Amino acid sequence: MAADSLITTRWVELGLAAFTAGLGGIVMVGSLEQGIGWGDAGPEPGYFPFYIGLLLTLASLATALQTLWRWQALRTSFVERAAFGQVLRVFLPMLAFVVALPLLGLYLTAFLFIAWFMARDRQRQRRYGAWQILATAGGVSLASYLIFALWFKVPLDAGPLADLTRLLRSLS
Amino acid sequence: MSEFDSLMHGMGLILSFHHLALMVIGVLLGILVGVLPGLGAPNGVALLLPLTFTMSPTSAIILLSCMYWGALFGGSITSILFNIPGEPSSVATTFDGYPLARQGRAGEALTAAFTSALLGALVGVLLLTFLSSRIAAFAMEFSSPEFFAVYLLAFCTFIGMSKNPPLKTVAAMMIGFAMAAVGMDTVSGNLRLTFDQPALLSGISFEVAVIGLFGIGEILCTVEEGLVFRGEQARITLRTVLGTWKQLPRYWLTWLRSALVGCWMGVTPGGPTAASFMSYSLARRFSKNREGFGKGELEGVIAPETADHSAGTSALLPMLTLGIPGSATAAVMLGGLMIWGLHPGPTLFAEQHDFVWSLIASMYLGNVVSLIVVLATVPLFAAILRIPFCIIAPIIFTVCVIGAYSVHNSLFDVWLMLGFGILGYAFKKLGYPIAPLVLAAVLGDKAEDAFRQSMLFSDGQLGIFWSNPLVGSLTTAALLMLCWPLLARCLQALRLGQPRAKVRPS
Repeated sequence: MAADSLITTRWVELGLAAFTAGLGGIVMVGSLEQGIGWGDAGPEPGYFPFYIGLLLTLASLATALQTLWRWQALRTSFVERAAFGQVLRVFLPMLAFVVALPLLGLYLTAFLFIAWFMARDRQRQRRYGAWQILATAGGVSLASYLIFALWFKVPLDAGPLADLTRLLRSLS
Repeated sequence: MSEFDSLMHGMGLILSFHHLALMVIGVLLGILVGVLPGLGAPNGVALLLPLTFTMSPTSAIILLSCMYWGALFGGSITSILFNIPGEPSSVATTFDGYPLARQGRAGEALTAAFTSALLGALVGVLLLTFLSSRIAAFAMEFSSPEFFAVYLLAFCTFIGMSKNPPLKTVAAMMIGFAMAAVGMDTVSGNLRLTFDQPALLSGISFEVAVIGLFGIGEILCTVEEGLVFRGEQARITLRTVLGTWKQLPRYWLTWLRSALVGCWMGVTPGGPTAASFMSYSLARRFSKNREGFGKGELEGVIAPETADHSAGTSALLPMLTLGIPGSATAAVMLGGLMIWGLHPGPTLFAEQHDFVWSLIASMYLGNVVSLIVVLATVPLFAAILRIPFCIIAPIIFTVCVIGAYSVHNSLFDVWLMLGFGILGYAFKKLGYPIAPLVLAAVLGDKAEDAFRQSMLFSDGQLGIFWSNPLVGSLTTAALLMLCWPLLARCLQALRLGQPRAKVRPS
């Protein structure tokens, strides 16, 4: 059991508390820049956020203290190595999606993303065929174009596809 | 009977093919997000929000509120058929719903769940119909200190009543407030907390946070648990429906109790989740066949579902009258109202009479439409759940990206969403609540304005929050709520300290 554990809960508790405390610190510094006192027109812009940052930092530090207090009890595993591998196998493609978004545009990225997941799926006995993948991934990209861009007029970044259609239009 | 007249007026406004079609679409989308893991009512509404900017506010609120009802219904489908709560508020439904489905009584359980959900919702809407204009009229007298005291009460109740550790609730809430403060200061016009980053100039949108925290975080948690859907078959025929309806009147007391619990928890920001758990445990305590609970007792489905829906509906009461949402979804809708240029709060009833009453009228109609749609489409949605997660997950993610991107057409928001997704994953695993963060992100500016105005009135004296009986009692109640966990512990210690009067041998 213990060998499979990637990290114990107590360290993640401490890490998250440190993160939120850091956020609180940033908020306090930003508020101090704006002035946290009493100006000519009443409270200055940093007046309210400063105390928000202060409360955030205090709550985080208290959570950290509580973690130290319960140090032994929190020895349990936060996540097993295998389970975290599963999470990464989903999260890394998500990261790649966001990186690729400005380069490839939404439709191509979504197409590749869905195709990647289907091609890599090992839960089914039979792998997905190329046609199945093409139809599903293409269908979703097309549907998102129809629903969002055409029907609801939400501008989506089409990337190179937009350039391509413009090129085709200028040729014809 | 002016409420009745207004209601009829609202009915007249919404009875058109266009609005009925919007209701059906809203309900279907709602059931879809309720059924799919990783999408829930709050981020369903957040995802739909950018699409409503071109609609009239009335059409938009009908679409969004019907999505909310649909999501509440959809949550019970997965709870009963798959033992997977699609929504946190339908966790309690799994306790008895899934055992019933295992016994082959899925149709019965679903019908009971949907019907009691409708009845619960109707109690909530009745409350809204007859109380809202009175509360709004009362709240018209409020000035900044009173408003701040009401906000304080809402936030303190969250901290005091939450099942999560109070310190973590405070931390989550303060992150929300900090998010709201980023960008232009509404009073002075200064840019705050932007650290000269152009991407931060327009602030951090709560929609992005909701989509990341609820959507991406949920997907990551689901993947980690290695979820495999193993569902029970469901066939709902007219005979099952009628047969179940015949049994339901027996449970009128459970229903009434649950509806009251739900309304109370919905109006105070306890939320539907707390309401459904409380109602379930009350039903078990008072039931004649306590033994059957957890093994497939119809009453154990009726109680949480009624409370869930009456809480979900009555959560709109403080949202409309005071501008304080009682649940995360209501918070997102409140943000929507502000984006459409409406000002939630008592003035809404005076200035936007048509809008308010069409919304209330649409709640009656929308819930009935939901019941019909959901009964008709259960098999369809059960089939959707059998689509492998490796197809559903990337589609959900794509929709989340589109939703986050379309808020400001900015790529930065997509990165932010991913960041919030990681935060949501860690939050969920360590017991930090997400709802207070959303609530604070939506209400942060208004709470700050109220606070600063009060400070201006009083020249910086905090005593203004006790300057008259109304604001004083609100503030005191807020502080009591904040200390509630400590008080409860003290009371318990006192009670345990005394010798017990009677010890019954068991």
